[in-house]
Amino acid sequence: MTTQDLIEKIGLKALSKFEHRDVDGVFVSDMLSDVMAGAKSSNLWLTIQTHKSIVPAANLVDVSAVIITSGKEVPQDTVDLASKYNIAILSSDLATFELVGRLYGLGLGSK
Amino acid sequence: MIKDVLQATVIEGEDKLDTTVNRVYASDLMSDVLAFGRPYSILFTGLATQQAVISAHMAEFKGVCFVRGKIPKDGAKEFAKENDLVLLSTEMDMYDACVRIESARRGEDASLKAGPAAAKTEKMLLGHELLIEGSDFANAGMASTKLKAILKKIGFDPKLVRRVAISTYEGEMNVVMHAQRAKVKLAVTPGLIEVVIDDEGKGIPDVDLAMQKGYTTATEEMRAMGFGSGMGLPNIKKNSDELDITSEVGKGTTLRMKFYT
Repeated sequence: MTTQDLIEKIGLKALSKFEHRDVDGVFVSDMLSDVMAGAKSSNLWLTIQTHKSIVPAANLVDVSAVIITSGKEVPQDTVDLASKYNIAILSSDLATFELVGRLYGLGLGSK
Repeated sequence: MIKDVLQATVIEGEDKLDTTVNRVYASDLMSDVLAFGRPYSILFTGLATQQAVISAHMAEFKGVCFVRGKIPKDGAKEFAKENDLVLLSTEMDMYDACVRIESARRGEDASLKAGPAAAKTEKMLLGHELLIEGSDFANAGMASTKLKAILKKIGFDPKLVRRVAISTYEGEMNVVMHAQRAKVKLAVTPGLIEVVIDDEGKGIPDVDLAMQKGYTTATEEMRAMGFGSGMGLPNIKKNSDELDITSEVGKGTTLRMKFYT
């Protein structure tokens, strides 16, 4: 499954500029160290954290996309930095729990 | 440095003049360059052709300096640009250029002498230094991001690069949260990548306690931004092959992380 498929199937909003890529597994956390320790390359990262520092974190662990849940507004500097590093920042109005259910339903187990 | 010592003009790579080279290879015979040239060198040559630049690239050199004021007319410049090489041209002849560089190098090394660092400098393939400012949450993670890009470009295994990047990131976060500022030193030597984060800050009173998972001294505000879950040092321990922490309360902390390549 690719980021493009996800955007179409779940109705996510793409905030930053990026190239679509394959998605493999999901990781949910709002603590950066937790993401650094647990997320795997190509995972989707679900969070309500919108601070600019999510961009280097996403870049370093090489997630396929960051999805900001609960329709939380994302600051422009976060989006700009993400575009610079080709990191996908997607937004969903669904709460994290709801979104996890949808992703699981699409066959994205956490790997 | 080389540009200034040789009073050279830049043909290509104005933006890459801060590239570190650790060796000069002087030759007009390209088969010699390919046979004996070592990575991270700069080639001094009187052969002003694209072939010289291609040979330098094949030998993993970082640049070429043409002597006796020669400037290549063919596609050398374009090739250098595509392959991230710096091209210089100096009026000096080969002998003079070599002598000037050698004496400049000796002058520089004199300041490094007599420390354990001297031996290390000799075989260093790449050295790089970055700065981190304390409390600069807006740029937190940018030093590690730069370091990752450097290692990726050299062509290290992505899994290794990821381990170095994650460890450096955690170290960087600690500086941003708890210290005034720090220097990050990257040293690549054969078989080893070493990252040293040397900060001016309050220090760690009990390193063993700080190493425990979940132990944190972060404020509520930091935690609201996603920092400070007490996993930083344990994450570094997990991702590095060797970790050495020395700390003095009121002065600062030095984190020495080693990764075998």
